[in-house]
Amino acid sequence: MATTRLHRNEQINGWAFVMPALVLLGIFMIYPILWSLWMSFQVGRGNNFSFGGLANIQRLANDALLVHALSNTIIFFIIQVPIMIVLALLFAVALNDATLRFRGVFRTLLFLPCVTSLIAYSSLFKSMFSNDGIINQTLVSLHLIGAPIPWLTDPFWAKMVIITAITWRWTGYNMIFYLAALQNIDKSIYEAARIDGVPAWARFWNLTVPMLKPVILFTTILSTIGTLQLFDEVNNITQGGPGNGTMTLSLYIYNLTFRMMPSFGYSALVSWVIVAIVAVLSIVQFVIARDRRRAS
Amino acid sequence: MSSLSLKGIRKSYGSLDVIKGVDLDIKAKEFVVFVGPSGCGKSTLLRMIAGLEPITGGDLNIGGKRMNDVDPSRRGIAMVFQTYALYPHMTVRENMGFALRFAGVAKDQIAKQVNEAARILALEPLLDRLPKELSGGQRQRVAIGRAIVRHPDVFLFDEPLSNLDAELRVHMRIEIARLHRELQATMIYVTHDQVEAMTLADTIVVLRDGRIEQVGRPLELYDNPANQFVAGFIGSPKMNFLSAEIVEKIGASVTIELVKHPGTRLTLPVTGGAVGEKVTLGVRAEHFGLPGKGSVDVTLHVDAAEHLGSTSYVYANSGGELVVIEHEESRHTNGNDRITVSISADKAYLFDSAGQRLR
Repeated sequence: MATTRLHRNEQINGWAFVMPALVLLGIFMIYPILWSLWMSFQVGRGNNFSFGGLANIQRLANDALLVHALSNTIIFFIIQVPIMIVLALLFAVALNDATLRFRGVFRTLLFLPCVTSLIAYSSLFKSMFSNDGIINQTLVSLHLIGAPIPWLTDPFWAKMVIITAITWRWTGYNMIFYLAALQNIDKSIYEAARIDGVPAWARFWNLTVPMLKPVILFTTILSTIGTLQLFDEVNNITQGGPGNGTMTLSLYIYNLTFRMMPSFGYSALVSWVIVAIVAVLSIVQFVIARDRRRAS
Repeated sequence: MSSLSLKGIRKSYGSLDVIKGVDLDIKAKEFVVFVGPSGCGKSTLLRMIAGLEPITGGDLNIGGKRMNDVDPSRRGIAMVFQTYALYPHMTVRENMGFALRFAGVAKDQIAKQVNEAARILALEPLLDRLPKELSGGQRQRVAIGRAIVRHPDVFLFDEPLSNLDAELRVHMRIEIARLHRELQATMIYVTHDQVEAMTLADTIVVLRDGRIEQVGRPLELYDNPANQFVAGFIGSPKMNFLSAEIVEKIGASVTIELVKHPGTRLTLPVTGGAVGEKVTLGVRAEHFGLPGKGSVDVTLHVDAAEHLGSTSYVYANSGGELVVIEHEESRHTNGNDRITVSISADKAYLFDSAGQRLR
């Protein structure tokens, strides 16, 4: 029948249109993902590898450095993400105030870090926080500290530097999401609240935050994923040091693959661990943020 | 229930004057409607009363107290917005009770006040819904409910019905009128729709370009407009304006001749004006009479006729001036006809070239 032929032609046409994209996606996305899953069961060095069964998983269970990298990553994630989200939210609310002068300038200044190169800003932070860098010089000359702070040579301070760096780099990025969302909120809502005598803190906490909840959830997940993949900053500023004090999962995978004795199979498995953690954390955040009333 | 007084109220944005000196007294329990074309400053004036816009000059008194610099929440007012301004993540109940939480009202008292407002507005079945689950009319009722629970002295409405469809608008208009009767509160209502103004108001304030054109009861404004602007703005269909010239002036009456109908003369009981002055004759659509029944007859070319059932409007043309006629014979008139109607001197208005009424 004519209709079936037409139908078949439409089917062929449709597949022909999506095929190029599907093929590219298959070669560069799906195949590597499946291959890495296969790789995670391989043991051996460099290109000499063979199927090792559960050997990698056993190694995973006894890997002290992995636990260290994981705990560092979790510290970065637990401390840095909330600080950045709150800062971004406060900046967004402040910069959304129509009565603020030079709003455009402030917005640009806060967003500028996002468009700087990761390498450039990491190198700059490294020199600023070095023992005789501008930060120590300034603090000493202001008599705020007696002796220079060992920013890059003490594990605690090194973590602080990394947290400061990624907060500086990514706060403006998150702020833009909040600003966009804030500009979609009807101004009369705030005017109604003002007339009704709702204090400023409650307008922020009971109106702005709940209305921005979907965006806050979105940025929290993005930031969580970003922090779990943290690599450039630690690699450039501290190389994971001192004494693995800032070693992150991504840097550890990189080191496993290219720096230590190359172990592609094991590093593939560790990559899958990150995937699992990201998935679990995202689900947890979705559940926490879900509207309880809607859910019941 | 408070009275309000505005004395020399001004508002400027830089060098741009938006409100150019408004003097107005509003009695307690009065329903006052600010009406005017868009950009006339009516919403700005309301927002100045609310405290959402700073007052550049003059005095605002509510209940005898100067309120120029008082915080909006302490002026004893509540406001209903055109966009409803409901809190989207809160239920109807939470929306109405939210402000009371910060006024130090006890929980059971909040519940009582919310239930009372819900009863007045027939919102009881909707109390646990979110705003997105309500229709436009229901949302506006919630917005009104949010105002009611606070027991304000003065209600402010900023074009509250503009986002509703025509049928719902009529319904809500009646609801607001009923509410005013029940609550016995002072209400100030802003609209660009003169029908809303006519039907709701005790007093209408007609604004244009930041100034008051006329203040009065609805029918006062309709029957006795102070100038051509008010005459044209109040009433639907609009008053017809025909250009004319004063050709004779004897004692307390002037005789005019219609510019587009040379020879058609009409004598009106007016003391002002001078011979040779260009004037405008104003006639309402329903004041055109059958030929021979008025002071003078004119014949016009019909462009179109609208038959609405209960009434009919004839859109006629008087040498380029559009004339709308509503009278007994309209029903049988169609496009491309000619129609002869009479104008009665005692039902016509005369305006000078500046638009002021000649009396």
